[in-house]
Amino acid sequence: MRKFLLSCLAIIISLLFGALILWLMGKDPIAAYTNLLQGSGLMHKARYAGRQSMFTDFMSFIDAMTPMIFASLSVAIALKGGFFNIGVSGQMMAAGFVAHMLSLAVPSKILVIVAGIIAGAVLGALMGWLKYKFNVNEVVTSIMFNSIIMYLVTFYINTFYINPVSRQSKSIIDTARLTLSGYRWENLKVDIALAFPLAVAVALLLQWFLERTTYGYEIKAVGLSPKAAQYAGMNVNRISLLTMTISGALGGLAGVAYFCGYLASIQPGTTPSMGFDAIAVSLLGGNNPAGCVLASFLITIISKGSIYMSSRQHIEPEIASLITAFILTFAACSAVLSRKGKK
Amino acid sequence: MAEPIVEMRHITKRFPGIVANDDVSLSVNRGEIFAVLGENGAGKSTLVSMLFGMYEPDEGEIYVRGKLEHINSPRYATQLSIGMVHQEFRLVSNYTVTENIILGLEPEKKLFGLFPYVDIKKANHDIAELSERYKLKINPEDVIENLNVASRQRVEILKMLYREAEILIFDEPTAVLTPQEIESFLQIIEGLRGSGKTIILITHKLNEIKAVADRCAILNRGKLIDILDVPSTSTDEMARLMVGHEVSFTTPKTPAKFGDTVLKAENMSVKNPSGYEAVKSVSFSIHSGEVFAVAGVSGNGQNELADAIAGLVSCSGGRITLNGRDITNASVRDRIEAGAAYIPEDRHNVGLVLDFTLRDNFPLRRYYSDKFSRKGVLNDAAFNEYGRHLQENYDIRSGQGMATITRSMSGGNQQKAIIAREIDMKTPLIIFMQPTRGLDIGAVMNVRKQIIAERDRGAAVLLISLDLDEIMDCADTIAVIYNGSISKIAPAGELTVDDIGLYMMGVGKTA
Repeated sequence: MRKFLLSCLAIIISLLFGALILWLMGKDPIAAYTNLLQGSGLMHKARYAGRQSMFTDFMSFIDAMTPMIFASLSVAIALKGGFFNIGVSGQMMAAGFVAHMLSLAVPSKILVIVAGIIAGAVLGALMGWLKYKFNVNEVVTSIMFNSIIMYLVTFYINTFYINPVSRQSKSIIDTARLTLSGYRWENLKVDIALAFPLAVAVALLLQWFLERTTYGYEIKAVGLSPKAAQYAGMNVNRISLLTMTISGALGGLAGVAYFCGYLASIQPGTTPSMGFDAIAVSLLGGNNPAGCVLASFLITIISKGSIYMSSRQHIEPEIASLITAFILTFAACSAVLSRKGKK
Repeated sequence: MAEPIVEMRHITKRFPGIVANDDVSLSVNRGEIFAVLGENGAGKSTLVSMLFGMYEPDEGEIYVRGKLEHINSPRYATQLSIGMVHQEFRLVSNYTVTENIILGLEPEKKLFGLFPYVDIKKANHDIAELSERYKLKINPEDVIENLNVASRQRVEILKMLYREAEILIFDEPTAVLTPQEIESFLQIIEGLRGSGKTIILITHKLNEIKAVADRCAILNRGKLIDILDVPSTSTDEMARLMVGHEVSFTTPKTPAKFGDTVLKAENMSVKNPSGYEAVKSVSFSIHSGEVFAVAGVSGNGQNELADAIAGLVSCSGGRITLNGRDITNASVRDRIEAGAAYIPEDRHNVGLVLDFTLRDNFPLRRYYSDKFSRKGVLNDAAFNEYGRHLQENYDIRSGQGMATITRSMSGGNQQKAIIAREIDMKTPLIIFMQPTRGLDIGAVMNVRKQIIAERDRGAAVLLISLDLDEIMDCADTIAVIYNGSISKIAPAGELTVDDIGLYMMGVGKTA
């Protein structure tokens, strides 16, 4: 409860800071924040283009939120198990890339999902293994892997798989894409995120897994006190490896939901910032799976709504990243506060 | 006539729940080696920490060179030419000796009369000279992490000398040294005395005091027992004063009825993480219905011994058998299953997951068993019922019942929870490591009763304690550990406190 209140406080303070900055820029913060909600399909816009409505906006919003749920769950379970996985971006990119390549041979949505899970899990397991075998800090390996993967994927795309017009990778074939793009419904064109139900199901499953299974009990014990876990007869190394494998698999799911769903292509030369935003989301959600879904909802409003906000108010869309950054800062502070509150 | 350089008058220091120093008055003379002797928790460290400005006394006054001083920080103590070597060295391990020593007092030079830089050449030279003068044999350019413990200690001494300290305080300086290193350390401090320094030495090793000290203050439970002139007092006399006070209470106990051998250790050796052999070829056996107590001064291998039997560290040699089964290489879980319960010394980091609720901590070592889980799914009802059972039967108090986060509970109740959990497994072997450390008298009594009750149930009890009262109170058989070896094993009735004290100091006849 205390955690929840602190998270709310973090959001409120961040929004107030954002408002202050908007006001200093000579903009109307209330109008700007309204635009965020409108852009996310949560409030009516003044007018809509053809074949669009608040409903289509909302469905696009869900489409953007789906990978964020996976990514934040990836961070959350790693934190529960005592790891700081900041390599979600790399895991996303690797998974997205592998899925793209496989879809060239076998265009199947199921295969895309499975490939994403496996690619991410392998990377996560590798980090866990490096940690316990050589005691290399996972923060270091995950940052390094982000760069390695990004450059490898960039090299391959630029050399063999580029769409010369968009300067992105070629697009994934529709039969393998996890988002039904431009689906005709009544007189609307809707984007349907097919992975969204999976994201919610995975969050619920993870909640149950952490609270009710022996594995969950072990992961939490190792995360909170490795020495006590060893004393309890747990195999700390094996459990750490398991934690990172699950975290990586979730990062991989985020990757396919993003690169083979929300987007249909991979942009070379950059890692998705979602992998880092996911840290804010996870902290904001108290590293709790259900909390992650709620926090993903909030953060996605800011990131998704920022495009509409910037066009209406003539504000740089980066202001949204700024507010997210505030939230990360305050959420990190509140994580410390909630620990202090316990004594 | 000796001239007092430090005087402490009627010093009292209280911490929540305990009086660490109770009306202690003493004076230290210029140019002497003054030892402070006492058991663990007698208040030695607290007393001298006040001299170094780490605590301020609640009552009483400290005079330095005849002047009343309020020493409120180590910085001020340094200004008064007081230096201290702590038990844990305070050195930057990837810096050189010189860099460590000059830290905060760097000799400066200016490049082109403008840009300040550290004159490391001069510093190296000064420190080499200082090292030479006091015969410390330290190369100023060595990097700390390449030095052994004894050399690091000498660096700490140099650090004080570089700051021109005249009063040198050592907190348990020999606890981490080998006998040969101790020998040369004692020579060093005699040399320091020879050059006019005053030395205050905290220790509980009698033979060291006998070897070098001029006078010695004995503390017990915060009170000053006596100040002795060392050359005219025997070590036996000092040991008696240090530990030989009336036992304040005893636990009712019937004669032991030994059964079969439960735990057997044969030539067991254990290395600590730095590769030092902390337990050296130890052999003993414990029977059902026996409290086998291991006495010894802190850091003589007790932790490693207990951890190795519980399986938290592996043996480097020898064999452990539990009820006839070889468990030398068994995992922790196998040993739990085989019947080894363990109450570890570090209840915060090892014995409990502090951020778990009390309910989740109870089955910590058995959560995987059929009783608490089925096919990998935890049985909530069993968790709740077990928690209720333990809380009621072992009188564990917590603010919000079983949902209390363990961190927020008092130390006594945390320990009760661990003991309840381990005892309730009704195992053939129970290891108690320092089970009453930091508990109040009522809780201490209670734990000791439980130890006896477990013995009467037929368990083999291994009790490792630094508290001699506890050992005398509970033991059927007493073993004394010194420097990793068991120097004596005897039935409890055959040893007096004085005997044990001597074996603990390594001065007893070898067994």
